[in-house]
Amino acid sequence: MGKIRLLLTVITIVIVVVPLLGTLLAYQGNLLGMFVPPEMTEIVDDLVSGNGDNGGGLEPPKMVGEPQYDEASHTFAVTFEYKNSFPLNITVKSLTGNIACKEHGFPLGNASLSEPVSINAGDTGTLTVFGKWTDEAINHFQNEHANEENVEVVLLDFVVDISGLRLELDQSQIGQGIQVPNPVYEG
Amino acid sequence: MKGWLAKINWFGFAGGVLTILVIVVSLVYPWWQLSVGDDLMTINASPVNTNFGFLGTGFSIPFIWALNVIGLLSLLLSGVAMIIYSIMPAKSFAKPLLDFGYKKPLFTFLFFIIGLFVVTVFLQNVFSINLPLMGTATSTVPIPFASGTSLTLLLSAGFQWSFWLAAVAAGLCIVARLYHKKVAVVPHA
Repeated sequence: MGKIRLLLTVITIVIVVVPLLGTLLAYQGNLLGMFVPPEMTEIVDDLVSGNGDNGGGLEPPKMVGEPQYDEASHTFAVTFEYKNSFPLNITVKSLTGNIACKEHGFPLGNASLSEPVSINAGDTGTLTVFGKWTDEAINHFQNEHANEENVEVVLLDFVVDISGLRLELDQSQIGQGIQVPNPVYEG
Repeated sequence: MKGWLAKINWFGFAGGVLTILVIVVSLVYPWWQLSVGDDLMTINASPVNTNFGFLGTGFSIPFIWALNVIGLLSLLLSGVAMIIYSIMPAKSFAKPLLDFGYKKPLFTFLFFIIGLFVVTVFLQNVFSINLPLMGTATSTVPIPFASGTSLTLLLSAGFQWSFWLAAVAAGLCIVARLYHKKVAVVPHA
């Protein structure tokens, strides 16, 4: 009975020590690799650098064509193309932001995605963003930009929800302004 | 035949069979599952098989893989020991087999819960990531080198039915130990 107990104790020690020791020996030259596998670092590197099979990097949406403006409702539509560089299908569920005049910092209105857009891995999807100028914005265009065909605006409090991942950017991360047609410009 | 059946420790037998069943089930169904967003990141965890998914790519962590091998072998040997013990509980080798087998499912179960708890506390305190053990939560994670940017994650987590199956297996093994005295008595001639 004593021998059986001893044998079972040895077995217990062996099944604990051998897997740990084996892994330790396999990664003795790279102990960090025991906790951070190479696949994980490759994915992150590919996303950041834009190389490899795991994605072409994070690319900002590209504006397509000219913004469309409806005078009667003071609304406009801007179309973007976005390439899904992730190796999985995504859905851009929402996109919202406030618009301000870049020159004066005056709040002009808001913008939001017309409808959720699903984009398959590697495909490019079209995002249509609708915006509305406020009455104060129209006055601002008349008073400060009456002679300008296009006015440079910036997006503030930009929030985008991609497949449950909510990314919030402030102005410093959005970068340069966007040229939009002046709704009161008469040529 | 009837007398032989009466000598079997049925709690131990059921616990042993269920422990082996838990191993098989856990290879496919995780004990605990976490998903970030719409499966942008997933964690499927159990003491015998843990894997991660990140942006559609699956991978495992070698250290956790080693722990899973330990968990798998422990449960497998425990299940086999419990079955052999249960069929012959009055034999001289039965008690050592019982002592070897009955605690492992419980310890595996407890280590798994404690491990999950430690990981959630660690992430909360070090990275301020609010990782739920059950249910849903939102967590805002910092993005290095990008001030003014924040990333809010929707996290959903929960224990799966295989976790509760493991709890039943561990419970049966404990009951088998308590029941041992009733089946291990050698009748006097």
